[in-house]
Amino acid sequence: MLKYCCRCVMPHTKPDLHIDDDGVCNACRSFEARKQVDWESRKIELLQVVDRYRSKDGSNWDCIVPVSGGKDSTYQVVRMLQLGMNPLCVNATTCDLSDIGRRNLDNLKNLGVDVIEMSPNPRVRAKLNRIGLLQVGDISWPEHVGIFTIPVRAAVEFGVPLIVWGENSQNEYGGPATAAENHVLDRRWLEEFGGLLGMRVSDMVGMDGLTRRDLIPYHYPSDEDLAKAAVTGIFLGYFLPWDGISNALIAQAHGFETYHKPVEGAMLNYENLDNNLHGIHDYFKFLKFGFSRATDHACLHLRRGRISRQDAIDIVRIHDGKFPWEYLGKRLEDMLERIDMTLEQFISLCDKFTNKKIFKRDADGKLVKDKHGNLTKINYDNV
Amino acid sequence: MKVAVVDTDIANIGSVCRVLVELGAEPVVARNPVDLRDASRIILPGVGSFSAGMASLRKAGFDEALPVAVENGKPVFGICLGMQLLAGHGTEAGGAKGLGLISGTVRHLEESGCKERLPHMGWNEVSIVRPSPIVAGIPNGTDFYFVHSYAFQANNPGDVIATCQHGVPFAAIVGSGNVHGAQFHPEKSAQAGFRVLGNFLELKPC
Amino acid sequence: MLKIRVIPTLLWKDLGLVKGVGFNSWRRVGAVLPSIKVYNRREVDEMILVDITASAEQGAVDHEALNDFADECFVPLTVGGGVRGIEDMRKLLRAGADKVSVNSAAYGDSAIVSKGAAEFGTQCIVASIDVRRLEDGRLECFSHSGTRPTGRRPDDWAMELERLGAGEILLTSIDRDGTMQGYDLDLISSVTRKVRIPVIASGGCGHYGHMLEAVRDGGASAVAAASIFHFTEQTPKEAKLALAAAGYPVRMGFVEA
Repeated sequence: MLKYCCRCVMPHTKPDLHIDDDGVCNACRSFEARKQVDWESRKIELLQVVDRYRSKDGSNWDCIVPVSGGKDSTYQVVRMLQLGMNPLCVNATTCDLSDIGRRNLDNLKNLGVDVIEMSPNPRVRAKLNRIGLLQVGDISWPEHVGIFTIPVRAAVEFGVPLIVWGENSQNEYGGPATAAENHVLDRRWLEEFGGLLGMRVSDMVGMDGLTRRDLIPYHYPSDEDLAKAAVTGIFLGYFLPWDGISNALIAQAHGFETYHKPVEGAMLNYENLDNNLHGIHDYFKFLKFGFSRATDHACLHLRRGRISRQDAIDIVRIHDGKFPWEYLGKRLEDMLERIDMTLEQFISLCDKFTNKKIFKRDADGKLVKDKHGNLTKINYDNV
Repeated sequence: MKVAVVDTDIANIGSVCRVLVELGAEPVVARNPVDLRDASRIILPGVGSFSAGMASLRKAGFDEALPVAVENGKPVFGICLGMQLLAGHGTEAGGAKGLGLISGTVRHLEESGCKERLPHMGWNEVSIVRPSPIVAGIPNGTDFYFVHSYAFQANNPGDVIATCQHGVPFAAIVGSGNVHGAQFHPEKSAQAGFRVLGNFLELKPC
Repeated sequence: MLKIRVIPTLLWKDLGLVKGVGFNSWRRVGAVLPSIKVYNRREVDEMILVDITASAEQGAVDHEALNDFADECFVPLTVGGGVRGIEDMRKLLRAGADKVSVNSAAYGDSAIVSKGAAEFGTQCIVASIDVRRLEDGRLECFSHSGTRPTGRRPDDWAMELERLGAGEILLTSIDRDGTMQGYDLDLISSVTRKVRIPVIASGGCGHYGHMLEAVRDGGASAVAAASIFHFTEQTPKEAKLALAAAGYPVRMGFVEA
């Protein structure tokens, strides 16, 4: 049975979440600790960092900003421009770029920045999506690798040592104390927290006919190359108070487009608009751990006092973990066709990755599904 | 393709069934001889003692049904004890009669002069001594996972396809006509084991 | 020739996979099934799965879930946690374990090892020993997930377990667990000098060099590790390449002829 944080609604199964003896999770504790942060001095720290890295003669970019075209990356770019930086934005194309994602990426360019769009071979990407889904139940595995690897490769290639990442997910969503307070993203962070689920790029060689040469964009630079280029990754969220809604407001003021309704399986209309496969990714998170995107969002707003815990529980019941029949209007079958999988195969894979101890089952032990194929958790709160 | 996996509680058949699914076949758990009817191939897994294994097969009627299935041209593959049971005779605990599908005797490795620690357990490499479709694609020296103290001594050396060495050489894979067996556990031997079972599914019945 | 084995350890607690430091401060690292599927691909030689909820809370292993895990495991699987008697062993083996690991129960009633070996064969019985280094430097075995001192020395206890019929020994340094600072080589060699059965070194592996030390200097027949595989880019396959480069026999990946 799931145990939940008594302040927010995150279950104990979430990787790197820890619920302490008082029943409070480390994400709530991190948020609490933020109130003690001297943001003025953090901002001064940030100014010192950007000054140190800014190109002295304008011959090169000042920093790399990894961008998806989402609200957070739009916000990161706006902030860098405000600080007088000339960023090289690096976009690792999502697995299945949505139309709205494309428009938001174009909007980001029009903020007045140089952008590199690195679009890895889509045929290889589709194979990696399939392998990720079959092996570790994560269709977005190659995207996680790409978004953390391609900007670092660009930093090495173009000799731009400073990479300005967004939030530290370990702080925002819960992680080990040392990692949550950390403000540097390095290889170890990627392997530990980058969502790679223990599967490594080197594991891909030989699978589905993939060879090393197919996987170049996914290879992290060598330690020597990183040292030579003196690459440093910082989390902007460490220096500036981070809040999704504020980021969305600022991004919208700079042309960022939101979806016309709450995104399927979530409670908001301004997140995860860039990739049609998000719905499948989030659904598998639900099957494995018993929480999904609506829980993530509800917790963020609950901590910031915008909704009550009961509201959060209700929101989770309504939105979380719905069978991903469509996402951003794209049909599941169309997404599965890309990875050469039938709906039937997909459903049986879902069942295999489902943690049976989290969901209601009938007398024969079979998972109870409603007419839309949705599961019901045994408990939505501590009982 | 339907593949019967004989289940008389002398082995865990979960992994065997999973490998079959992975290889695109449809495993059918056979608790009674009648379950063999629709299958085009039969796998006989097993761990434990020869006499207890034979007793389980006899109780369910497989001692008669398996030779009949073989006569009807269905390929059979024995795993570990299941391979040993293919023999005519086992010397354990005073001796017991086997299925007699491949002529041979099952003896304790010590009887054959083995001075090494027993059971022979772990990954060990096999030497292929004669070509056979069952070892197609398997390089000489490939490692497989073994757990056993007894070994199959074939009366006809031509029935031995691969050998392994643990103090003394012994048969790792045997085969005669439609009947094959492996002393190791292909279902626990990762990709190499997948290949052997895949080869079994590809065998043309003779 | 039997091969030096590289074995990932999976700790299973409250519906998921965890990893701790010093048998404590558990960190959630994900779900069990995906890890098993990844390790299948990684050319690991075996897997060890320990249900630490069952061992700490007097509960039983979740056999239904274990069944699902075992079906997906295409290398030998050792399962431990909460094994208190022959029936517990039987249930684990039925659910798909290839070997069972016995720890705390053996201190109270060592006959569990001999009975298990008689019933299921010595190859099924992995005796697990958790060891702390005391302040004066002496080594002592601890039971119940490292919480209770037993007064036993690891080398004496290992000899006793061998005599009772254990097929191999899983030897874990509690102090090194999760630190990635290297195996406790003195501990390992103190045991491997005294027993003939294989000893699996566990606790502290941070890189391939540590594995080599455990085999070369410690005399281990196998190396178990968790953090290195959960948290770094290092893989079991590369670990074996490193051992092979140092001249030790390892099982290399299957490449079709």
